[in-house]
Amino acid sequence: MTMYISATLKELTRKRVFMVTLILTVLFLLLFGVGLHELTGMTEQEPNHAAKKLMDSMLFMVLGLFFAQFLASFFVLFSTMGTVTGEQENGLLLAVAARPLPRWKLYLAKWLGHAVWIAAYSAVLFVAMVWIVHGATGFHLFAGDLLRSFVLFLWMPLLLLTLSMLGSVYLPMLGNGICAALLYGLALFSGLIEGISSEGGTHPGLEKFVLLTGLILPTDSVYRRSLYELMGGSDWAGLTGTYMGPFSVPSVPSNAFLLYTVVYAALLLYLGCRAFDRKDL
Amino acid sequence: MMIIDTADLTKTYDGRGGCRNVTLQVPQGCIFGLLGPNGAGKSTFVKMLAGLHRPDSGRAVMLGQPLGRPEARRKLGYLPELFRFQDWLTPSEVLSFHGRLGGLRPRDTRSPAFRSRVRDTLALVGLAEAADRRIGGFSKGMQQRLGLATALLLDPELVILDEPASALDPVGRHEIRSLLKRLRDKGVTVFLNTHLLEDVEALCDQAAFLYGGELLASGSLRELLGGATDGGVRWRFQVGGWLPDTLSAILEAAGGTSASALRLIEADANGNAVLSAHVSGREQAGYLCALFIQNGLTLYESGPEANSLEDWFIRMAASRQGGDSR
Repeated sequence: MTMYISATLKELTRKRVFMVTLILTVLFLLLFGVGLHELTGMTEQEPNHAAKKLMDSMLFMVLGLFFAQFLASFFVLFSTMGTVTGEQENGLLLAVAARPLPRWKLYLAKWLGHAVWIAAYSAVLFVAMVWIVHGATGFHLFAGDLLRSFVLFLWMPLLLLTLSMLGSVYLPMLGNGICAALLYGLALFSGLIEGISSEGGTHPGLEKFVLLTGLILPTDSVYRRSLYELMGGSDWAGLTGTYMGPFSVPSVPSNAFLLYTVVYAALLLYLGCRAFDRKDL
Repeated sequence: MMIIDTADLTKTYDGRGGCRNVTLQVPQGCIFGLLGPNGAGKSTFVKMLAGLHRPDSGRAVMLGQPLGRPEARRKLGYLPELFRFQDWLTPSEVLSFHGRLGGLRPRDTRSPAFRSRVRDTLALVGLAEAADRRIGGFSKGMQQRLGLATALLLDPELVILDEPASALDPVGRHEIRSLLKRLRDKGVTVFLNTHLLEDVEALCDQAAFLYGGELLASGSLRELLGGATDGGVRWRFQVGGWLPDTLSAILEAAGGTSASALRLIEADANGNAVLSAHVSGREQAGYLCALFIQNGLTLYESGPEANSLEDWFIRMAASRQGGDSR
């Protein structure tokens, strides 16, 4: 089951995917850090400095992690959209699938191979972003909150990976990439809309739409719960309920919903294994 | 013992193409050739054996295990037709990866014994010098050799090769033929799916012919080509001085011996003729040559029939086309 971990690392490094991704990520983090430094310098000269600084540090953290999850998601989409049909089309799977390994094990091994490096990249992004915002704004960090947020931040791209791999059993590489990206965009969009509309009271129709998209692809919900945890849970997260416009977290996904995401991932993995087992290569 | 035993194995694509009701037995330790024109269903059949396609119906046992079970592929080496390897890896890494896929543990693939096995396998297919070069720069022929090395890595009892010599130059093809003969001598069963009839003639003990998804013939190559089961061969003679009554004179002189199998293929007005006979060996062919000379003929050429498999292939396909058109 672990044979794809080193094979995927070799693919990512030798095809220069990691190098390009890391260079651009470092560039992004540098620009973000410089911008943050300039902005925090400006706010220090304003009245009500302490309260403003607290709110701004939260806003910067939310913004930083929003773009970080965006980067992690695109890394997932581009590196996994052709996992099955792409390899089937170019002949890579033929010799592999003829080996005495049950197809479901092969599928899970490929999932694991991607998951390890996606989690590693997401971890680097999260730690770097939190460290930059903490260093520039003095954002308060608590070990327990940080750990919960970190785990959820890693869980989000793994959910997307699970969906993308299932799609790659059925759809051609490009079709799957577009489909997964659109679903991810829809989940993101519904979260932003919920954030914008939170200042104007409740909207039952909109809430149903957000719930439905969250059930179809719960990445944005998990990301928002990750933010909630980083903000200190119920202690401070209320401030992010309406203050941050589209980046607000007006409704926090419950523990039951997090359990749903685990069931969701397990179901998608099961469906992927079953479909791959029945697929003619 | 049958290494492959199928009964009514069927796989179609929405009711079309593929192969239907294929019943085939492949004995252990032989080289078996699967023949047929494009679209005959050969690749579909091979992919079912390799576990890449699921049969619609029928039953099959391979290496003593029901087809489709991973255990049936434990001692299988498979070279696909239109395959590719990860071009960012080296041949040594590909073989290590396939060792893991074949059930070896990580520490097994790092052991000196396995590394030695990898080196030997790459040397066997002529890739020893390129063992640590990236596959991305390989020619088609080198990739084909690597595919063969991958198939042979884990000491298979059955090797299924889908067009193994298609990308090789004449030297490479000769080397692969020698290698396949050595494998047979070691008791490995080789199942060959190829368009190269000279490979089948040179290598195969048995063959089968697929056409339009149906199995039209199978058996030993001698049976298929000459309809004989006594181990004889078809011999061809070119003679001069042929007269209309020469054949009856020769048959009379032979006195009901094997020369009775002699038949006239063609004769022209200048006395040139081509004859054919099924003989048990060179001695019997020599006896016929002596008869020709005794009857006043000039013997220009004598030898086993060339391209007989090609003739047979074309005859089989043409007969089926005729049947289809009717």
